[in-house]
Amino acid sequence: MRKFLIVVLVLTAFLVFAQAKLTIWCSEKQVDILQRLGEEFKAKYGVTVEVQYVNFSDIKPKFLTAAPEGQGADIIVGAHDWVGELVANGLLEPIPNFQELSQFFSSGLSAFSYGGRLYGLPYALEAIALIYNKDYVPEPPKTVEEMIKLAKQIDQEFAGEVRGLIFPPTTFYYVVPFIFGYGGYVFKDTPTGLDVKDIGLANEGAIKAARLLKRLVDEKIIDPADNYQIMDSMFKEGKAAMIINGPWAIKDYRDAGIDYGVALIPEPEPGVVARPFVGVQGFMVNSKSPNKLLAIEFLTNFIAKKDTMYRLYLADPRLPARKDVLELVKDNPDVVAFTLSAGNGIPMPNVPQMGFVWGAMDDALNLIVNGKATPEEAMKNAVERIKAQIQ
Amino acid sequence: MIGLKRFLSLCFIGLLNVFFFWIAFFLLSNAYYVLGAFFLGLVFLIDFFIFNPKGYPYRYVAPALVLLTILVIYPIYFTVKTAFTNYGTGHYMSKEEAIERLLYDPVYTYQIEDEAVEYKVFLAYDGLTPIYDDFLLLFKINGEIFIAEKPVPVKKKGREVLLSEAQLSAVEGTDYQLVPRSEELSEIRMITSGEKTYRAFYSPREEFLRLNAPVFKSRIAQFYLQKADFVHPSGNKYALRIDRTGEWSFLRIERLYRLDLIQIMENDRPKTKLVVVNNRTNRPLIEREGSFYDVNEKGEEIYLIGYIDFVGWKNFVRVLRDPRIAGPFLKIFAWTFLWALLSVVLSLAVGLPFALVLNDPKLKGRNIYRTLLIVPWAIPVFISALVWRNGLLNESYGVINKFLLPALGLPAIKWMNDPFWARVGVLLVNIWLTYPYMMTISLGALQGIPYELYEAAMIDGAGKIKRFWNITFPLLMTVIAPLLVSSFAFSFNNFTIIYLITGGGPPIPGSTTPTGYTDILISYVYKLAFQAGTGQDFGLAAAISILIFFLVGGISYVNFRFSGVFEEVGR
Repeated sequence: MRKFLIVVLVLTAFLVFAQAKLTIWCSEKQVDILQRLGEEFKAKYGVTVEVQYVNFSDIKPKFLTAAPEGQGADIIVGAHDWVGELVANGLLEPIPNFQELSQFFSSGLSAFSYGGRLYGLPYALEAIALIYNKDYVPEPPKTVEEMIKLAKQIDQEFAGEVRGLIFPPTTFYYVVPFIFGYGGYVFKDTPTGLDVKDIGLANEGAIKAARLLKRLVDEKIIDPADNYQIMDSMFKEGKAAMIINGPWAIKDYRDAGIDYGVALIPEPEPGVVARPFVGVQGFMVNSKSPNKLLAIEFLTNFIAKKDTMYRLYLADPRLPARKDVLELVKDNPDVVAFTLSAGNGIPMPNVPQMGFVWGAMDDALNLIVNGKATPEEAMKNAVERIKAQIQ
Repeated sequence: MIGLKRFLSLCFIGLLNVFFFWIAFFLLSNAYYVLGAFFLGLVFLIDFFIFNPKGYPYRYVAPALVLLTILVIYPIYFTVKTAFTNYGTGHYMSKEEAIERLLYDPVYTYQIEDEAVEYKVFLAYDGLTPIYDDFLLLFKINGEIFIAEKPVPVKKKGREVLLSEAQLSAVEGTDYQLVPRSEELSEIRMITSGEKTYRAFYSPREEFLRLNAPVFKSRIAQFYLQKADFVHPSGNKYALRIDRTGEWSFLRIERLYRLDLIQIMENDRPKTKLVVVNNRTNRPLIEREGSFYDVNEKGEEIYLIGYIDFVGWKNFVRVLRDPRIAGPFLKIFAWTFLWALLSVVLSLAVGLPFALVLNDPKLKGRNIYRTLLIVPWAIPVFISALVWRNGLLNESYGVINKFLLPALGLPAIKWMNDPFWARVGVLLVNIWLTYPYMMTISLGALQGIPYELYEAAMIDGAGKIKRFWNITFPLLMTVIAPLLVSSFAFSFNNFTIIYLITGGGPPIPGSTTPTGYTDILISYVYKLAFQAGTGQDFGLAAAISILIFFLVGGISYVNFRFSGVFEEVGR
């Protein structure tokens, strides 16, 4: 019996003095570059960095299951709107101040802040914009009227072979630019933060935007069955003239050999600016990781550097979160266009209550475009549903 | 020969013991007490079965018992336990752990002075190789030099060190000698103690030693300093923190929270209660609904941390009383029942005729047909479901709407957005996926029906249809009825198909929960507990799972009684 105990003790002793290793979960596009950066970090610090590919939509759920058990990645790469939920669960470590923080855009930093603390190191901003195929659209439309006219023209000319305009009409994220443009809002922005009791998704502006969406469907420009996959694959095949998508998709379109251009989302009415959601991608540190200090070191003294940020941009071209990196890439027309679009945008709320909004709004839009409910009914009901769940 | 066998089996038992002990200690040392104790109990039980002659029959049951416990009983125990807690977003850790976090986590400290203390790290060397776990630290605090040895753990949980401490002592009166003796840290190159020497390794203020920063951070600070307090003789604490400039320096810190006892009145009797107190404001934290709240200077409550708390029947009551959940529950239950029933009946209606045809010995190339007909079963569900969703049922580009229906001169069908057709759609896919199973079990059962029965019936002048209904069908049902019951239970909880094909949609207008026409109970639960909310609500999910378990159990029981009717016929 005593021998067993000794064996057990020896085995556990080995585990205690195991080498430190940093694990990162990120989605496909960052794997290669982070692996290379990880090797450089190892050369300097002697700490292995293991980069694991996790589907973007699985990172948060997977982290939520693993991290409380003391497992899971030390660093995750994700979106700023995860912060509220992860902080509420006590799973994120605040990132301390460091010298070069002033080089970052304040919008990126405030997106990752929660309760007065910074919980993520931003590396890319993103906002959707109008992406058009130059073969069909010589000059991007400035207003929705122009866009409708153009889309109809293309639809007629190619008799259904090429679609004039596609965007997912039942996905809230893609309809938001019109809703916000007309004056709708998700949660009221007050000086003390977002007021989750004040929801502006059934106000006059939001309903106006919903009517516009309905009109697009009624005039057969948008099909109620359109979704992201259809939009993405048809544009890649050159069978769509205009779509609304984000900077993450650009690389694929370029690889597919599409002669594309990026422009602002057309104004729903002359003078009314379309306002997309602005999302920020960044690195977050697991508060239950035994390697917290190292993880923070990796982020603040390695990833946050200008060179590294520039290399991250080259690997996955999205709007850089550092001012001096943006200067470097100013001559890239895509970046300029997306930056302008993001400039009009509104940051996605990072409060946990946002979780209720997505499902409710997607369902409401679904009912509207399929004619199952009027825009007023659907939007009012969605707000009721969000309120009922927030209480 | 027998000796060898006995020796080998003893070796095996020995290995098994080692393995289980190892698991048990591993679990215990990581603070999984229930599971650890369970494994310890298990190893004693197994040894008892093997070495006690009376336990002889049990030794063959033991492996099954182990697997049963690990795979069935423990998950059930865990589900039931979870159903009575608020486990979910905001409540992810035990109360014990939440308090430990507040007391020991470096985040919950505040700096007393902003000015960093000068420090220098000295390492012992073995020849030329540094020994990273043998180091000394020199501090210069208010002009005085202090020495500290490697911090030792003072608070541990399992194997995790929550807090370690080291005393700062003046160099005089210790065995350590500074070489050279100096008042300036930068001039000191070595520390000797008897035969042993420690050489200067890292200091943030010396250019040459700064080169060692990465090694200091990854090999020393990471392991020994991140949760360590250095205690000054006066009682002041210093700890390694990242300061405003991003530099790793030692700062004077104080913990934000402490445990304290307070007197409260409960039922008119004074009682002492353990509370967490904020050191700065001296106010106890507010504890409400499984969460700690702090009160700031303005009197506002600030959410700090939540923990898993026992909530009694609250989750079950919510399912029954909360109109948001209970409202659509019945509607969804009715559809779930219909869905499971139709799935079984219709796929049998497709599979059985195929089986009858394939069972005909006059049919040539039976194996080829059989192989082809089983194909849907062989393709992974995830792939075929997505093929159906995007390739066949898609409203604009799917094969059915684009080619098939126009060819027949019919209007396109809204597979995803019309409640009726969405239901037809998911049923179609499920029938496609399950008819090969029905065909296979029917084929097996048909083999067992003696041919003499048909001969006798033919002599009596019974026609084909009569023979089918009076001989084939009842005898078939005797065999496959229990399988139909289990496939009913499977369809009842067939989350994958619903989730992949329609995601529960189209939405039901006017509902205050994420409800769709094709949602079955399990997909509705998933949406409620994991998608709609502020994240995840495991407590509610567990409660609803238990209710579904009883529902399916009850229905299956009734079904088994019903299928017993056929057994009467079989006799």
